[in-house]
Amino acid sequence: MKFNISEREGRVRPDGMAKVTGDLKYLTDLTFPNMLHGKILRSSYPHANIVSIKTERAEQLPGVAVVITHKDVPGMNRFGIIFPDQPVFCEDKVRYMGDAIAAVAAESEAIAYEALALIEVVYEELPVIDDPKKALAKDAPKLHPSGNILHRATFKNGDVSKAFDDCFTVVEETYELPRQMHAYLETEGGVIVPKEDGSITVYAGTQHGFKDRFQLARILAKPEHEIRIISSPMGGSFGGKDELNIQPYGAILALVTGRPVKVHHTRKESVWAGLKRHPMRITMKTGASKTGKIVAHEVRIIADTGAYATLGPAVLDFAVEHASGPYIIPNIDIEGLSVFTNNGVSGEFRGFGGNQITFALEGQINRLAEALGIDPIELRRKNIRKATDKGPLGQRIAPSNGALEVLESINALCMKQKEKQKQEPCSKWKRKGTGMALAMHGGGLGFGRLDSAGGRLALNHEGKIEIAFGFEECGQGLLAVIENIVIKEIGCSQNDLKIVIGDTALVPVSGSSTASRGTSIVWQSVQRMKEPFTQKICKRVSQLLSIPENELILGENGLWRVNGKHPCMTYKQLAQEMKDGSPLVVYTNFHFPTTPDAVIGGHYLYTFGGVKVEVEVDLLTGKVKVTDLDHVIAAGPVISPNGYRGQIEGGGVMSLGYTLMEEAKMEGGRYVTENFDTYLIPGIADIPFHTNVQAIEALYKDDSHGPRGVGEIGTIAITPAIVNAIHDAIGHWVQHLPVSSEEILEAIEVRRMLEWT
Amino acid sequence: MDLNKADHVVSKMKEEFTLSFLVNGQKHELPVQASARLVDILREKVHLTGTKVSCGIGRCGACSVLLDGQLVNACLVMAYQVNGKSVLTIEGLGTDGNRNIQEAFLHEGGFQCGYCTSGMIMAVKALVDAVPNPTEEDIKEALSGNLCRCTGYGGIIRAVQRLANGNA
Repeated sequence: MKFNISEREGRVRPDGMAKVTGDLKYLTDLTFPNMLHGKILRSSYPHANIVSIKTERAEQLPGVAVVITHKDVPGMNRFGIIFPDQPVFCEDKVRYMGDAIAAVAAESEAIAYEALALIEVVYEELPVIDDPKKALAKDAPKLHPSGNILHRATFKNGDVSKAFDDCFTVVEETYELPRQMHAYLETEGGVIVPKEDGSITVYAGTQHGFKDRFQLARILAKPEHEIRIISSPMGGSFGGKDELNIQPYGAILALVTGRPVKVHHTRKESVWAGLKRHPMRITMKTGASKTGKIVAHEVRIIADTGAYATLGPAVLDFAVEHASGPYIIPNIDIEGLSVFTNNGVSGEFRGFGGNQITFALEGQINRLAEALGIDPIELRRKNIRKATDKGPLGQRIAPSNGALEVLESINALCMKQKEKQKQEPCSKWKRKGTGMALAMHGGGLGFGRLDSAGGRLALNHEGKIEIAFGFEECGQGLLAVIENIVIKEIGCSQNDLKIVIGDTALVPVSGSSTASRGTSIVWQSVQRMKEPFTQKICKRVSQLLSIPENELILGENGLWRVNGKHPCMTYKQLAQEMKDGSPLVVYTNFHFPTTPDAVIGGHYLYTFGGVKVEVEVDLLTGKVKVTDLDHVIAAGPVISPNGYRGQIEGGGVMSLGYTLMEEAKMEGGRYVTENFDTYLIPGIADIPFHTNVQAIEALYKDDSHGPRGVGEIGTIAITPAIVNAIHDAIGHWVQHLPVSSEEILEAIEVRRMLEWT
Repeated sequence: MDLNKADHVVSKMKEEFTLSFLVNGQKHELPVQASARLVDILREKVHLTGTKVSCGIGRCGACSVLLDGQLVNACLVMAYQVNGKSVLTIEGLGTDGNRNIQEAFLHEGGFQCGYCTSGMIMAVKALVDAVPNPTEEDIKEALSGNLCRCTGYGGIIRAVQRLANGNA
């Protein structure tokens, strides 16, 4: 387990000690005096009309404070980050098993559950649309007034049909990707605390506190300033807590009862109601010339977005954008449909549509290489983008040579692996194989989307250098990123610093803690703020001590005179001096770097990743085990080595699960799996002990955008790389995930790979 | 199947008894139902929230504690089973000054969100108490009951190996 960069100065992440001692209070750990417990009644059917809802018996149960339904929603009875189409409480119709009908606040959780059982709902069942194919049928019932297509996204360039005619080889394949569960260890939850003046504080995890505030204001018919969102820390999110979950229910219950209300999903409730990764069916037809120049690429994507929109449209746009990845293909025709069904809601999930589309794309490249008899790395080399080429939607992007650099590093690792494999004896019942794949991933929300960024830097009254961002700590290590950047750029020490995040009452607007944007924004914000802040502070001290400004620098514990042996004024002293004066504070506000070309959703800053993987296929059981794993990542300078490596390793294993183990299977609109006994995520015995992460830190010359976020890039290339390695081991191409042992066994039998067959 | 009914059948046995047990060396006497889950008692009655609940069915290990030195899932242990016994939770670990495991997790990136960490560290404690220099197989076996969704286990493995090498 190697990494080419080691932790600097032995610094540990700011939230570390509280996490390893169990002292950290997650928002679901909080209790308040006089607190009630809230529980939500979800639908009994995936698709039905609601004939009647009777709550009287539940209300009469001793210990029940209140039962609420759609009639109790003060404002708009809908939520959804972009398209608010999901009812807080259903009025007359349910569209999936996670739909909420009513909620209860009671003196204990047990009483709340007892009350839920007493709510009488009469349904009239409707035909269940449990597959996008059914939803797209001409006679399909409409799940929403506008029909069953949430979003259609296309991109065309050149003339595909003419180009296919001229191709030497064309490969066509359909890839099927499963519904994946985020499986954050902390399920959705928190406490909502009302105040006498009518305002509320919402202690509940989310990836964008201000967006929750905006949505809750609409639902509660309250001005935003009466809603405070405390959204950090979280026990994992991975996109899954980006949308509202328990907040509206807790908030209405708290406002109606005037008491704090805690709502915390059980795992089963989380599975039923929560977002998942979009299942997709992707058909790709890709053609190349005899020399291996890829000239035509036709892509059709059908995404099962479930019952409601959330960010389904943006996920599809992202998949369409990344359908040609880091390759330059002159003739392209891509069309994607995001389709409503009565399945669980699909939405935001680390990788954001990139995982599905890259699995298909890299599968195509490897199949083409095989068909052409060209080494897959050489085929990639022939078609890979150059540093200054345009982006995949024809938009201008920040130049980067990352794609080729990653490819060459992966090539070197593959050569080494082959040498190693030659020396290893071959087992009779096991076959080894090596695979590789590349990925390209856009950061930020993309062109045409509100992507505000910003931060605040101040010397506070306690004499701390206080840096504030409207971000959340989901576990990704944002606090360590902030600390490392500020210490390096400002010159202060760890002890001088106070970091403020995750509280709408205290932080500036920074945008969402999503889309691999956090690290970029922190770095760019500090670049913008450090000069004015340093100047301001030096000017003040210069006036106080009559030392020329240019002889003062910020350092550990205070301001130092150049060549001084100790600070000439500590930050504490300075804070004392300015107690009555105007505070030393600077702000920055900017838009996340965006392409100048008006291509909706098109990105500007991209990162690149590559994976080389070794698998062992058990010929007797059909099980596939990843035995060796190398990541190469080009995302600019590494800010926080443990965090960087952790994101790549952790993201890789999350997708190892996606490839080999995980499927949140639904039948007839109902989850077949509801907890970790049947939904298996990788455990420590499922992962390779030999994992390396190699960071390519150099940016293209004159790049001024700094380090990029790495929250997603490590999750993408691993899936096609594993499938490539399986093919290397047994000669079979998998096109349906997760890889099934039955399929592998059948492939082994067909090829007569066992001695007795 | 109805989600709400199936998940929580309200117990008819509401009689309470006085549970007497040690938590992190401190004696507690609490009126609880015999079938109350240890994890709920720890979190709600003893107010130690370091022990987490994630799956509630003994699969994820987020609620791992030591019961008379044995690693258990506190969501599967009932009140009557801990009467007269001694429980060690994450809050009690390292109070004697030996924070080797925690230090190793801090320096090797053995956690991210931290929600599995309390349980994971207790499982590592059980491992190194029994096997001070664990092999790869030992580590896999000992930590197989503890799920982590963030780290991919790399940092956790490095932390255990650091302990074995005495670098904590």
